[in-house]
Amino acid sequence: MLVLTRKAEEGIIIDDDVKITIIEIKGGSIRIGIDAPRHMKVHRQEVYDKIKEENQEATQWDIADLSALSSMMSTGRKKS
Amino acid sequence: MKKIQSRFGEIEYDPANTLLFPAGLVGFERLRHFVVMPNEKEGPLFWIQSVEDPMVAFVLTDPTDFFLDYAATPGPRERDKLKIDAADPCLVVSVVTVPADRNITLNLAAPIFFAPTTNRAIQVILEGTEYSPRTPLPEVEPAKG
Repeated sequence: MLVLTRKAEEGIIIDDDVKITIIEIKGGSIRIGIDAPRHMKVHRQEVYDKIKEENQEATQWDIADLSALSSMMSTGRKKS
Repeated sequence: MKKIQSRFGEIEYDPANTLLFPAGLVGFERLRHFVVMPNEKEGPLFWIQSVEDPMVAFVLTDPTDFFLDYAATPGPRERDKLKIDAADPCLVVSVVTVPADRNITLNLAAPIFFAPTTNRAIQVILEGTEYSPRTPLPEVEPAKG
């Protein structure tokens, strides 16, 4: 991992089109500004981790449960 | 036809008909090919089995069956990955978590876009969304006579 030291209001440029600025350092938190092209997804790490965890969880299912649920849901389902 | 062993026994599939996730799913980036398993029983749930990893299968559903106003649309970058144009059909599907107590939840925060014309799919994490990755089904209202 590349490690850089930055002060408030200093920045980092990645690959010409991503600009990261340290806006403010206050009380153990750092406010970061990110300028990136629209198509680049920017997520808080914990949001990404949560999805990863949920996907992991979603692989732990049982075929008997699916079968039982399908029967239940096909009767309770909204008619379009 | 090819065969794979899954958690649920042997599955026979046609390699020409597999669903391609060019970037995998979040946390499963290396699993690209999935077999769409037909419903054994009628109902909104179906599942996909990874061709590369026999232990990995996901239950999926159409979220708009349960959340009528739920909508997510692919942007230009996503359409590129799906190899479709804006005019091509694109379906939104949710990953379903089925815990042992059978109180299922839908991952509305990271829907899957599926393009039937190209058989490609991608999972996207919605930005700035209120939706939870673990959304319980809405309460079913008792049927009115």
